[in-house]
Amino acid sequence: MSARGGAGAGLGFWGPAFLLPWLVSFGLFGAYPLLFSLRLSFMSYNPLNAAAQKFVGLQNYVTAFHDPVFATALRNTALFALGTLPVTTTLALGLALLLERKFPMRDALRAGFFFPSVVSAVVISILFKQIYSPYGLLNSTLRGAGFSPPHWLEDPRLALPCIMVMDVWSSVGYYAVLFLAALQAVPAEIRESAVLEGASALRVFRSVLLPQLQPMLLFVLVINTIRSLQIFTEVFVMTSGGPMHSTTTAVYHLYDQAFFRFEHGYASALAYILTGIILVVSLLQARFLQFGEGTGT
Amino acid sequence: MIMARASAFRAFRISPLLLLAWAPLAWMVWLAVRVPQGEALTLGLGNFSDLLGSGPFLRYTLNSAIVAAWVVGLNLLFASLVGYALARGRFRGKRPLLFSILITLMVPRQVTMIPVYLMAARMHMIDTYPALIAPFAVDAFNIFLMRQYMQQIPPEMEDAARVDGASELRIFFQVVMPMVRPALAVMGVNTFLVNWNSFLYPLVLTNSDAMRTLPVGLALYAQGEHSVDWGHLMAGALIGTLPVLAAFLAFQKQIVEGILAGTGK
Repeated sequence: MSARGGAGAGLGFWGPAFLLPWLVSFGLFGAYPLLFSLRLSFMSYNPLNAAAQKFVGLQNYVTAFHDPVFATALRNTALFALGTLPVTTTLALGLALLLERKFPMRDALRAGFFFPSVVSAVVISILFKQIYSPYGLLNSTLRGAGFSPPHWLEDPRLALPCIMVMDVWSSVGYYAVLFLAALQAVPAEIRESAVLEGASALRVFRSVLLPQLQPMLLFVLVINTIRSLQIFTEVFVMTSGGPMHSTTTAVYHLYDQAFFRFEHGYASALAYILTGIILVVSLLQARFLQFGEGTGT
Repeated sequence: MIMARASAFRAFRISPLLLLAWAPLAWMVWLAVRVPQGEALTLGLGNFSDLLGSGPFLRYTLNSAIVAAWVVGLNLLFASLVGYALARGRFRGKRPLLFSILITLMVPRQVTMIPVYLMAARMHMIDTYPALIAPFAVDAFNIFLMRQYMQQIPPEMEDAARVDGASELRIFFQVVMPMVRPALAVMGVNTFLVNWNSFLYPLVLTNSDAMRTLPVGLALYAQGEHSVDWGHLMAGALIGTLPVLAAFLAFQKQIVEGILAGTGK
């Protein structure tokens, strides 16, 4: 009886027993809710009105297609993602390049830039609600400088961009950490030989570093997109989706339908549509960026 | 010498950026400690003592701490058990099991939220600790993390203990768990941060002030449209941020490791 034989036999009876916590958890909070909400999405289901519960086929999906607020919410969500992604990614990459080399206090500075990204979204949102408020930090500063500033979060044209700026501020440090890790994984020899051959800094970045960073770039874009498509807390705290639905995002609309109007059937359909969008967008991004890598070199 | 000066200059050049990154946080602290007394302005901890002395804020903080402690503890135990079984065990149905973890990681939580809410409501569990803890007690990402880590550990130690006649439970607790301590720290601190900051589920699963967590309590307080009391609100936000700062200072390396674990590195 070899020692390997023990491992080969697995854990015997205990293997399945050790798995039990996951089986229970996945059953109760994964599989069952997933299937139940699929069922709900084909029903008219309001828990306050049990008598009216019935199957309505694809009605909820048709309603979603014609729901003007949902259309607005999708547009706002897309604007949020498209507006923040390039800015956050560029700033994070730039910050990572700045923080990569050796210099005094580097680790403390890295920590300083990273910290805001671990603070809770609620705290950040409250803080920026004050900053953007009519007599908040931003407007008292601007007034002090002689401007007559707008009411940021009460202006339908400005509210969403305000939340986007806050999002960039709060998440740059997080993605900079990811880029820093990727930069440190680039073999020093590759870079040194390029420098010795007299390549400019920009050229080294484009021809040497960028190809090496491609997988991390893809990862950052995909997770940041998924996160952007689910933006909720910031909207809940700062604007409640207003003014005039100008900050209503997909998840905010879902929450509003499910827990203010208690239209659980319709909200479940919205949730499934959102999941579909998220899956398609992340698959497309993966495809597109890998394709770019293939033809670029 | 010139090099050293150039690199010191780099730190100097970055400092305006750091100021930008920290100005909002500094503003939060300033608003929290500033106490207007008539015309004069003094600094003090009045906002904090008001907040914790009366009203529900102490309760919110306590609820957040209780829920986070349970969720972290249960994950340390359960995610390790499941990760261990997946790393070492050989049994039929392992593939579908790994698939169930992958599915859970991919599907947004908002899809399962309504059924979980209805389930909790039907079982009269809205406004209870179990409703805030159970859905997060065995996290799919944590299982993935523990499995990865355990696969990198050679099984010789466990096999030796097996030869010595130790029971599987004993092997898990006395041989495996001590070896994976670094991974437990990574999982523990990241689970704490996510749970301490979590908002949507606790918002949906609580109704009363007695059961609100700190983020939910703060958010609902901040939503009041008329005359928001910023001083007290910022004091509350700061109280909610202090444990995060402590975790950050103590476990920064582990937090980064947890983030990187998701990138497949």
